[in-house]
Amino acid sequence: MSFSGSQTAGVADSVMIDPTLSVSFRARFVRRVLADKATIVAAVFLVILLLLATIGAPIVAALTGHGSNQQFFNGLTVNGVPLPPFSHEIANNGQPNPHGAFFILGTDRLGRDMLVRLLYGARATLAVGLGATAVALVIGLVLGMVAGYFGGVLDAVISRGIETAMAFPSMLFAIGLAAVLGAGLVNSIIVIALFSWYYPARIVRMAVRSLRGEQFVEAARSIGLGHITIMRRHLLPQLTAPLIVYATGVVALNILFEAGLSYLGLGVRPPTPDWGQMIADGVTSDLYRQQLWVALTPGLALVFTTVAFNQLGDGLRDAFAVRGSIR
Amino acid sequence: MKFVARRLLIAVGQVLLVTLLAYVLFYVISDVTGASPAQRVAGHAATPAQVARVAHLLGTDKPIYTQYLDFLDHIVHGNFGYSFLQRQPVTQIILPAAGVSLSLILVAVVIWLTLAIPIGLISALRPRSFTDRSLMTGAQIAIATPVFWLAPILSYLLAFEPNQGRFLGISLGGSVNVFPIEGWISLTSNPWQWLHHLMLPGLALALGFTGFYARFVRALVLEQLDEDYVRTARAKGAGRRRVLRSHVGRVVAPSIITLLGLDLGAAVGSVLFVELVFGLPGLGFVAVNSIQNLDYPVTVGVVTFTGLLTVGAMTLSDFAVALLDPRVRRPTG
Repeated sequence: MSFSGSQTAGVADSVMIDPTLSVSFRARFVRRVLADKATIVAAVFLVILLLLATIGAPIVAALTGHGSNQQFFNGLTVNGVPLPPFSHEIANNGQPNPHGAFFILGTDRLGRDMLVRLLYGARATLAVGLGATAVALVIGLVLGMVAGYFGGVLDAVISRGIETAMAFPSMLFAIGLAAVLGAGLVNSIIVIALFSWYYPARIVRMAVRSLRGEQFVEAARSIGLGHITIMRRHLLPQLTAPLIVYATGVVALNILFEAGLSYLGLGVRPPTPDWGQMIADGVTSDLYRQQLWVALTPGLALVFTTVAFNQLGDGLRDAFAVRGSIR
Repeated sequence: MKFVARRLLIAVGQVLLVTLLAYVLFYVISDVTGASPAQRVAGHAATPAQVARVAHLLGTDKPIYTQYLDFLDHIVHGNFGYSFLQRQPVTQIILPAAGVSLSLILVAVVIWLTLAIPIGLISALRPRSFTDRSLMTGAQIAIATPVFWLAPILSYLLAFEPNQGRFLGISLGGSVNVFPIEGWISLTSNPWQWLHHLMLPGLALALGFTGFYARFVRALVLEQLDEDYVRTARAKGAGRRRVLRSHVGRVVAPSIITLLGLDLGAAVGSVLFVELVFGLPGLGFVAVNSIQNLDYPVTVGVVTFTGLLTVGAMTLSDFAVALLDPRVRRPTG
């Protein structure tokens, strides 16, 4: 490769990109991303999902004329069972009414349009997944930097904290905390952030530790810069690539976490639609044994979204040439 | 010995941290947010004087640090308190439940290791081949599949439908009992039934971990195959199998054991959903019930107990690694 000469072997063991890469770096990054079809597919999927959640949901709601919490009296069979995908509402004679409302993904337990709820549900999933990751990133960044930069007792305490948090029965704790704090969007974000800060903290700590001995840090110290300034101005920019990579992976974990909480009724408050809650709706009532799709579609949406975030994280890791994995 | 002492000291610190968090979370925060333990026991209709008397009996009117020390003292003596609702010691609720959860985790660990290690090896030996790509795509999907969705789908496809005489909607011409739909049989009463009832829950729990471990094993092995010692061993005439087993395996095993130790805590989170779906009376089941009923002593008991198990698993796995890898035993600077 023509630009391989700009690489140095010295930082190959650390988690970050080579700081000496400059002009060729952006070109190489773009080239690597473009060569990685799976990552492009994942990125396109996520952009579409974001658009669907923000502007697509109200558009579909307007086109179908179905509200996200609107219960259709004729959206259930005469026995009160949800309608399968691609079905018309049931007329009073018990037969489908070809002129009545049409449900592309069928209806749920309460006769609500699954498609509209699925689209609106993406909002809660993305808001909590991204929001919690952002909060976790800030906590992890601060703690990881302090631990890696100052070392000593601070590092020992924070490191033991990270190790303990990693092996914690965090789901149990989170459920307990969510139950004590109460359900809701903001509370979900707080709870999930409290149980995901240690992924970025670990990465940042390792990265800062290996950067700490570099000459540019020494130089900054020798011209009289304070520790905070060094961390903010000189170390933080170096951490961008690994942080983007790991944050993407943490979003995937947190989306599943959020779905788990709302599956247990501790996420976003009903009737606000949410994927985890939609799955729970189909499962806990044992409805899925008659009508599998009530649990199937929100689960598939969840799987696709998580795969996409994971794939994007993997692709960015390869493109940034960041080493190591999230765990 | 120095290594053992150091590691045990860390474990003690972690136990203190876990118990402290559990205590603060459920007694202190709940006190602040309104649903205080004393209020909970005394009931909604209780007068403030009655609530105060209950608080005195429970000891929740003492300063927080005294409460926590009392709590620790009780735990050291094997006393996790009494359930608010069931009027029996928490240990009598937790211990049978722990047996169920540990059985489930055991079956799941066996399933995910027997699946993930061969998958990871096959992928690592033919990197970027079609087989590798397919297996790793499968792993990626397995990782992304939430267990609370996978468990009911598996139970529907492999237990419920065959029981109704169908599979994927196709008639089987009669009821086939491949797996029981739900329920728990203890190991001591019938070992075969025990395993039969745990296979499907174990599979549901194991699949996500299988994905993780397959990727992990692949990455580890791939890294090792580039090492000089592998080339040397091959040059000396050792067969591929022998190099993998005796050379690469020895290097890779400690990393897998460390990860297993760490994952027990993570597994407890998934265990909870599996237990709910398959009606297994384990720790997750107990935890969710007690949280919903605000039965704090049981919740704190379960969280503390799983915390102890988790720390114990981490410590044991570190000891196992130290036995396998002499470098770990050496004191680090």
